[in-house]
Amino acid sequence: MVQSIVSTGVAIGCIYALIGIAYNVMFSASRVFSFTAGTLGMLGGVLGSLFIAVMGLPVALGFILALAAGAVFGVVTEIVAVRPVLRSLDQHLYVLSTLALALIVQQFTAIEWGTDARPFPRLFDIARGAFDQQFWLPMLACAVVIIGLELLYRRTLIGHAFLAIAEDSYAARALGLPERRLRILSFALAGAIGALAGFAGGEMLLAFFGNAPLLTFYGFIPVALGGMGSQRGAVVAGLLLGLFQQAANFLVGGIFASVAVFSVFIIVLLARPEGLAGAGLQRRV
Amino acid sequence: MSMTRRRALAAGGAAAVAGLTKPLAKPAIAANEPILIGYLPALTGPSSSTGIGINRGTQLAVQEINDGGGINGRKIELITRDTQSDPTKAVNGAAELTRGQKVSVVFGPLNSGESLAVVPLLARTNTPQVHPCWVDSLTDPKKYPMCFRNAPTNQQIGAAANRYVVDVLKHEKVAVISDTTGYGTASVNAYVPMLKAKGAEVVYQGNVDAANPDLKPELLRMQSAGAEAIMPWSVNAGFLSRIINTRGDMGWDVPIVGQTTLGSGQTKALLEKPEYWAKVYPNNFRPVCYSSGGKLTDRTRDFLDRLKSAKIDMSDTLLWWIALGYDSPRMIADAMKAVGPEPEQIVGYLNKLKGFPGVYGDISFTPEQHDGYPDDEVVMVEANSLKDGAFNLAPGYSA
Repeated sequence: MVQSIVSTGVAIGCIYALIGIAYNVMFSASRVFSFTAGTLGMLGGVLGSLFIAVMGLPVALGFILALAAGAVFGVVTEIVAVRPVLRSLDQHLYVLSTLALALIVQQFTAIEWGTDARPFPRLFDIARGAFDQQFWLPMLACAVVIIGLELLYRRTLIGHAFLAIAEDSYAARALGLPERRLRILSFALAGAIGALAGFAGGEMLLAFFGNAPLLTFYGFIPVALGGMGSQRGAVVAGLLLGLFQQAANFLVGGIFASVAVFSVFIIVLLARPEGLAGAGLQRRV
Repeated sequence: MSMTRRRALAAGGAAAVAGLTKPLAKPAIAANEPILIGYLPALTGPSSSTGIGINRGTQLAVQEINDGGGINGRKIELITRDTQSDPTKAVNGAAELTRGQKVSVVFGPLNSGESLAVVPLLARTNTPQVHPCWVDSLTDPKKYPMCFRNAPTNQQIGAAANRYVVDVLKHEKVAVISDTTGYGTASVNAYVPMLKAKGAEVVYQGNVDAANPDLKPELLRMQSAGAEAIMPWSVNAGFLSRIINTRGDMGWDVPIVGQTTLGSGQTKALLEKPEYWAKVYPNNFRPVCYSSGGKLTDRTRDFLDRLKSAKIDMSDTLLWWIALGYDSPRMIADAMKAVGPEPEQIVGYLNKLKGFPGVYGDISFTPEQHDGYPDDEVVMVEANSLKDGAFNLAPGYSA
């Protein structure tokens, strides 16, 4: 039981963490919570299955194409659902615009791909075992993304520019940074990360259009618990969420597992509204 | 006598009243004018796999009826409106068929979601309707006196699975699981009391989110409760395949008995190993199943031969869908041959229908019972035995 809780819990937690990171990357660049993050995860699984299992492309090519498609969808999100509402952030219109785009893509996928879950191909031809690739692939993907983002943000000029935009977009623009282009790049990066979450978790979640709302909700919890914009917080909270959810599956089971997860979510937010790793709001007087 | 204006008005008024009170003469119908049958299949959209299969049988039946001289010399014309798996479009199609096309009878819709919207509408327009949808409330001789079901109800489906587990397999401890959809929860709520009434002990009962990627906790719970059979109620192939895969990974060999989707190609495609499909028994229908000797009934074998000679594709569909589609227009045509195309006469005929010899099943109705499919023809089959769209009867049934 413990082995199952740990392997499945950490794996699903890594998928949630990756979706949380996608939320945060988009949020940092635009101050917008784009509810297309779960849709990106769903597309990663569906497109991976389409490219590799249906079209017969090599795994590496299918992987690259799925991530590229995620990046393109990220850019489309920025242009269609985010940019038009940036001037009225205080009215929170982005909730409607990003949810609407997510629903359009989800329904389109249901019509074109079908409403039944379809198989996601085995990426590596190795025998199934207790610690199967369906568990370690999401963990590997999460580790690669965490290290990659750390290197990007700390060692590269463009990473510093991303951080500058996230810190203060007005000041960054005043310094001559191309804010719009950096925002588009951030959304492309988030799109690729979201698609990676779905691709790496495809063997576990299958290629199913219904994964979009699941990942949208469960991927948002690490962001809220970890602190908005905090990548480390999202990773820690995502892993804790996966482990807690899987433990609840074993201990209470059925629909009560979801009830337990959301109860803890509400309790934590009541105790620490800024999230576990978020800084408390300070107001200058 | 001079005709005053008052007299002229009085005479005209009397003539008008006389004209109104006398029944209007029916327009003469040419002897060769086709009889219109409305048809509401879902040929596109997410629920279309059933509709496409049924449609193959329907088209073949109409062609055979017309080639054989039609109904008392008049051809059948099927007026088809694709519902696109959308209840709103099904309602629009039904309204157009009854008010615009003035069809004599409607066959369909072919899935319950659409029928729930269409049945009350057709009842208001006094149009006879035959549909094959399983939701129990879709027939009611008092509310919908012109609506007939030539397929089993959900109650019959659940009862057949319960009979198989308790009476044939002789298992007493049963786990019943569903997803959290309306169908899943309603099925569990309906079937668990039926199981208990048969003397079974329901040792596990649960509703689980269909998207939950790991069902091992649920199956471990069933196992530790001593379950001897798992009965899943869901149409979600992903959910069902996870149950089958988890059972296989656990090396637990209890039978899985339940909904027809357990035997679908979508479920098969999601299995980790083909052998995991053993001891999985979905619902099906005895007349379109292979007996223990691998044989079909003479009636069904003849039908298969006709399908093959008509070059009807069987590779991507199920025999019972085609058979159901084939039987429905034939049953309607038999009614019209006997009593003509008037709604009241068709309903009167169907109310007394006894043992219509369908390929899919023998259908009977009474004025009080518009669910025409016989209980004992709903059976369980071996999921991994699909051949030519038909399955082997599950072990334990007599031939």
